[in-house]
Amino acid sequence: MEPLSSSFRDPSGFVFAFSECVYRQVNKRFAETYDAFMESGLYEKLVSRGLLVSHEETVDGSVTGTTDCYKILKPQQIPFISYPYEWSFSQLKDAAMLTLRVQHEAIKHGFILKDASAYNVQFIDSKPVFIDTLSFEKYVPGSPWVAYKQFCQHFLAPLALMAFTDVELSKLMISHIDGVPLPLASKLLPVKTRLNYSLATHIHLHAKMQQQHSDAAVKKTAKGFKSVSLSEQGLRAMMEALASAVQKLKWKMPETEWGDYYANTNYSGRAGDEKRALVDSFLKDIPDSLAIIQDFGANTGEFSRIAAKHCELVVSQDIDPVAVELNYRNVNENGPTNILPLIQDLSSPSPAIGWGNAERSSFIERSHGDALLVLALIHHLAISNNVPLSNIAKLFSGMTRWLVIEFVPKADSQVVRLLTTREDIFENYTRQGFEDAFLQYYTIEKTAPIPESERLLYLMKTR
Amino acid sequence: MKPILIISFLVLTYSHQAAAYLDPGTGSMILQGVIAGIAVAGFTIKNYWYRIRAWFGKEAPTSLLDDDDDTQESE
Repeated sequence: MEPLSSSFRDPSGFVFAFSECVYRQVNKRFAETYDAFMESGLYEKLVSRGLLVSHEETVDGSVTGTTDCYKILKPQQIPFISYPYEWSFSQLKDAAMLTLRVQHEAIKHGFILKDASAYNVQFIDSKPVFIDTLSFEKYVPGSPWVAYKQFCQHFLAPLALMAFTDVELSKLMISHIDGVPLPLASKLLPVKTRLNYSLATHIHLHAKMQQQHSDAAVKKTAKGFKSVSLSEQGLRAMMEALASAVQKLKWKMPETEWGDYYANTNYSGRAGDEKRALVDSFLKDIPDSLAIIQDFGANTGEFSRIAAKHCELVVSQDIDPVAVELNYRNVNENGPTNILPLIQDLSSPSPAIGWGNAERSSFIERSHGDALLVLALIHHLAISNNVPLSNIAKLFSGMTRWLVIEFVPKADSQVVRLLTTREDIFENYTRQGFEDAFLQYYTIEKTAPIPESERLLYLMKTR
Repeated sequence: MKPILIISFLVLTYSHQAAAYLDPGTGSMILQGVIAGIAVAGFTIKNYWYRIRAWFGKEAPTSLLDDDDDTQESE
């Protein structure tokens, strides 16, 4: 048993994996707070509202072998771990509101969140859920919120940057493990945000105050550390102010209507219907029971909806933040909820970050499942990104046992478009070349032409 | 209490805080006092405004953080 490398900052306990499940140890130093939290009614309230993961206390505490063990908790398991730099604008916004709701409920019960990390949130059934049971401290009347700065760095700053500067700036969370530094956010945000009261205070003034007081703590320590006091009413008002700041942030997406968006990128009419039927039947033909299907190049998730009928969860990924945003909104408005939309660039997937490059694992390390659905993507990987077909086959075969993949030949209008501006150096990019590359790692179980196109659909199984 | 008094009260009183593993940041703490003070003042003014509106039969908007069923509970 080894503690997970993502959980070492908080001395209250740690998370560890044991026989394919994730557990959480409560350390002795946190025993009193944990018991008070469980007895306060806050746990029941949060769990019954779906705001916090439930857990059971396991009987055997000896498994971690540490002398510091008070209790071992087995929390509700998260089917697929995702990180804030993989979430669309609304996902990060919903995660921010969840954190504030949890905090609001905690204050009512005499507790307070001691951190406000975006990594304390995960998505289950397409809803954000708070996962850190040990984040609750007893509220000491008069104390301000120690996690205010962290909340601004993890939520408010990236959301404001996404809304006002560029939606791609959520990726700053990759280079900054404790959220976007406020001086950086302040510099990158347009001048007009200084006229927005919430952003002017929580980001711009906040950044300035941090810089001004960066050595103030040292001066104060000499006289004994003291901090500003805040009444409970002030604390509650602060949370309302943050909630209103988050709620007001809107990302104006590039002007694309739902329908337009799909029509521009996909089949229409009969060909679309037949492709959907074909994908449905190929997935149905997989004899194993499927827990997770990963849909790569999922666009707005049209085919993820078909895949969702065949498994417990579809991880529906695309490089385009607009598509992922539309996918997430659609999942929340119309279901099915067993779809997790994520932003992922397969040509350079999320790296491992943090201490020892191990605190937040890479996408490839987190990636798991039973089948991959790869439609209308191969030409982007092989031609736009120059990845040899055998490299693609090798990567995919290491991820899941089953693969449903569409081959888009050179004659296809989409590939013609990709090749108009560059030399065609892809002599192996043919049906034969594709099959040869994939046959090194897979057996081809089924093939069918996609009507009204020259594309082919394959069902493959790893060797 | 007048809003301005509340602001001064919030900013000027000091106390020890609970044990924490995060560095709260001195600037962040001071700013929090100021923003909360202004928010409380705003809240107080809004409440008066809602009371006036209530005479005309208009309901006050609910909190962004409360679910409908616990608005009553928290009163």
